[in-house]
Amino acid sequence: MTLLKNTTAALLIALTVFSGAQAAPSSPSSQNLVLAIGGEPETGFDPLLGWGSYGNPLFQSTLLRRDAELNTLPGVATSWSLSEDRLTWTLSLRDDVQFSDGSLLTAKDVAFTFNQAKAAAGELDLQVMEKAEALNPTTVEIHLKKPWITFVNFFHTLGIVPADSYGPEYARHPIGSGPFQLVAWQEGQQLIVERNPYYYGEPAAFERITFLFTGEDAGLAAANAGAAQMVSVPAQLADAVPEGFYAKSVQTVDNRGLSMPFLPPQQLDGKKVGNAVTSDLAIRKAMNLWFDRELVVDVALNGHGTPGYGPADELPWSGETAIAHDPEAAMALLDEAGWLMTDAGVRVKDGIKAAFAINYPAGDATRQALAETAAELLRPLGIMATPVGGSWDSITRVMHSEPVVFGFGSHSAYQLYGIYASSLGGVGYSNPSYYANEKVDALFEQAQSAPDAEASYPLWAEAAQQYGFAGDNAWVWLVNLDHVYFIDECLDLGETQIESHGHGWPITANIVEWRWTCQ
Amino acid sequence: MTVLRLITRQLMLLFSVALVVFMLMKLSPVDPVDAYLGAAVSRVSPEQKAQIEAAWGLNRPVAEQFFVWAGQLIQGDLGFSTTYRMPVSEVIGQRIGASLALTGLAWLFSGLLGFLLGVIAAALAGGWMDRVIRVVCYVLAGTPAFWLAILAIMVVSVEWGWAPICCSGPIGVPDQQVTLGQRLEHLLLPLSVLTVLGVASIALHTRIKMIEVLQSDYVLLARAQGASLMDIILRHGIRNAALPALTVTMAASGEIFGGSILAEQVFAWPGLGRATVEAGLKGDVPLLLAIALLTTLIVSSMNLLADRLQHIIDPRTRRL
Repeated sequence: MTLLKNTTAALLIALTVFSGAQAAPSSPSSQNLVLAIGGEPETGFDPLLGWGSYGNPLFQSTLLRRDAELNTLPGVATSWSLSEDRLTWTLSLRDDVQFSDGSLLTAKDVAFTFNQAKAAAGELDLQVMEKAEALNPTTVEIHLKKPWITFVNFFHTLGIVPADSYGPEYARHPIGSGPFQLVAWQEGQQLIVERNPYYYGEPAAFERITFLFTGEDAGLAAANAGAAQMVSVPAQLADAVPEGFYAKSVQTVDNRGLSMPFLPPQQLDGKKVGNAVTSDLAIRKAMNLWFDRELVVDVALNGHGTPGYGPADELPWSGETAIAHDPEAAMALLDEAGWLMTDAGVRVKDGIKAAFAINYPAGDATRQALAETAAELLRPLGIMATPVGGSWDSITRVMHSEPVVFGFGSHSAYQLYGIYASSLGGVGYSNPSYYANEKVDALFEQAQSAPDAEASYPLWAEAAQQYGFAGDNAWVWLVNLDHVYFIDECLDLGETQIESHGHGWPITANIVEWRWTCQ
Repeated sequence: MTVLRLITRQLMLLFSVALVVFMLMKLSPVDPVDAYLGAAVSRVSPEQKAQIEAAWGLNRPVAEQFFVWAGQLIQGDLGFSTTYRMPVSEVIGQRIGASLALTGLAWLFSGLLGFLLGVIAAALAGGWMDRVIRVVCYVLAGTPAFWLAILAIMVVSVEWGWAPICCSGPIGVPDQQVTLGQRLEHLLLPLSVLTVLGVASIALHTRIKMIEVLQSDYVLLARAQGASLMDIILRHGIRNAALPALTVTMAASGEIFGGSILAEQVFAWPGLGRATVEAGLKGDVPLLLAIALLTTLIVSSMNLLADRLQHIIDPRTRRL
């Protein structure tokens, strides 16, 4: 029996020791900020391998910047111009930008960054660039192989690295001219950064910021325990706001929509392409008229989103306007087109049933909810859609011949090109529906040859008249997701940008403007 | 002679494991380049993809890829991790310390605790204590590691505030500045969860063996001579019951390592667990192969060691 008593005693001791090990949540203050917004880059913080491709890469600065309304502002570059033949960019640089090791940023570093990014086997695709060269310490020239205005996106997103000290170690010991510098990165746990004393812009209000990379559950737990001041949360959890926090829904172009295979069924390059139902304009148009997108947002996203009408809603190059939800018109359109309702509740035309699968990646709860909501809503219209979950691998095999719930969203007009340009039909995940319209291609060509980014916007926008509601109704866009963050009541984020595809880092775009409003 | 045979056998085992893992990875539908690109895949042209494939050597024939890798391995080069963009040896070097601390201690404690519980249950067989221990063991044996880990965080860390929420050190403190006390504080919860999970099979095996011992003739004789239960357990029981417990504990090293992969994810523990998951999801063949080989080496050495120790503890099992 003594054995028993000893065990109990040992257990009790263990418990007391255990309870003594209290977690001491670091007190939030204006000096130290803890953010649990996820998005740890496994490859590190090397811009040439894709770090910061949403814009504003924390440690580095970019040639150009965007404000909250996405207007172009000067960054490291003070002026920029494109040659008459649209093949050569000439950029003048500030002469007072320093890296965090105190060395000066010159045109040599910029040229090195662009040339090296092209050669790097990473996610940045600079194949359209011929080369970059430094003319003198403050002037750099970038030569393109063909007119390609969306190349300016790299001026906004590609962080400049120092030519002298760049090497294999760079990703884990980044040196840049951005607002912050790296203190410590404990992989899988946290990233600690502090203000870069050499930053050329307005210094940030926070001396030190810690980014927790613990996953959504642990991040939320940290906020609940008072250990984090901001946490990104999935829409499904967005209503459980911890005490002392407010929920901020950031508007996005992180869109979701149904791809509609554009061609009639056929074999193309050994692939099964096209769909007998979705290749009919009447079907696509009727679906666009039929969906009550507000309802889709409420049902599938718990209200945390906005109706989606195109791949670039609210952006200057969108060109698409909202379409009225008009169920009668949709019904009439299908009747007229010969899709007649049968007793089984499914419309039929020339012996073809108005039925198709809606594919979604099985691990993505949001897309599953959208596929199921859409299928349910389509039933009264007489279109029988079946939601089918699968891996991306299985989706790749059917995405040219069946609708898929896709998601895009970027701050570059190139997104439109990737979705609608006929030359990209079936290339990777670009233009999966094999959409092809000569007028759209011609407008895209003109837009890419525009004298500057702003001048290209109306041309991109004009293409919407062809692929959008007024024309081919090529896709059925449904929603734009809101990115929800729980934020400490003392933390003021100022005015935030419309966010792109990706929840987390994009919110730090204006991190230097964040303020702590409590004492 | 025997040493040579042992080494040959070990090498053949490693080679077969490497080959099977490599083939499985090549047969899996995960395209490493697509997995690496993630959302960026819609922005990347086929030319850029080809550039990445060439840089990673994926454009060569599969057999050639394997032999290039094996050739490097023989020269002591584990290859280059495409997920982390650094040499595999560095990826593993950074993480193995934390993993060994967690899994090693959990393995040791679960062995000791499991043995202790098994002995108690057997000594009081049929009593309420025995029943409680058995039920707890059955429940634990059926509990997934990640679930218990999440539960522990929810209750112990968030509800009660008794333990840190994550990581191997306090939030916002660089690694060099973390004290030993803080380290232990952060180790406690993951260690407890993994220890508790490893207890069940060892306790149950020990219990059965101990009951068998207690019903044997020599224990009957000892009882007749007036020995107390405590005496019998200490003098006869422990040594005899230790054999199966030792074998099970050694064999459990693989299980504990598997459990730690999941638990490390939940606790954001900076060990090999997370690297293993990333390597699998991203089709990072060199990293996954290295981790698989390392695990094989540990588990097979443990089993070898169990055999040796058995001979020491029980001279009857020695081959003459």
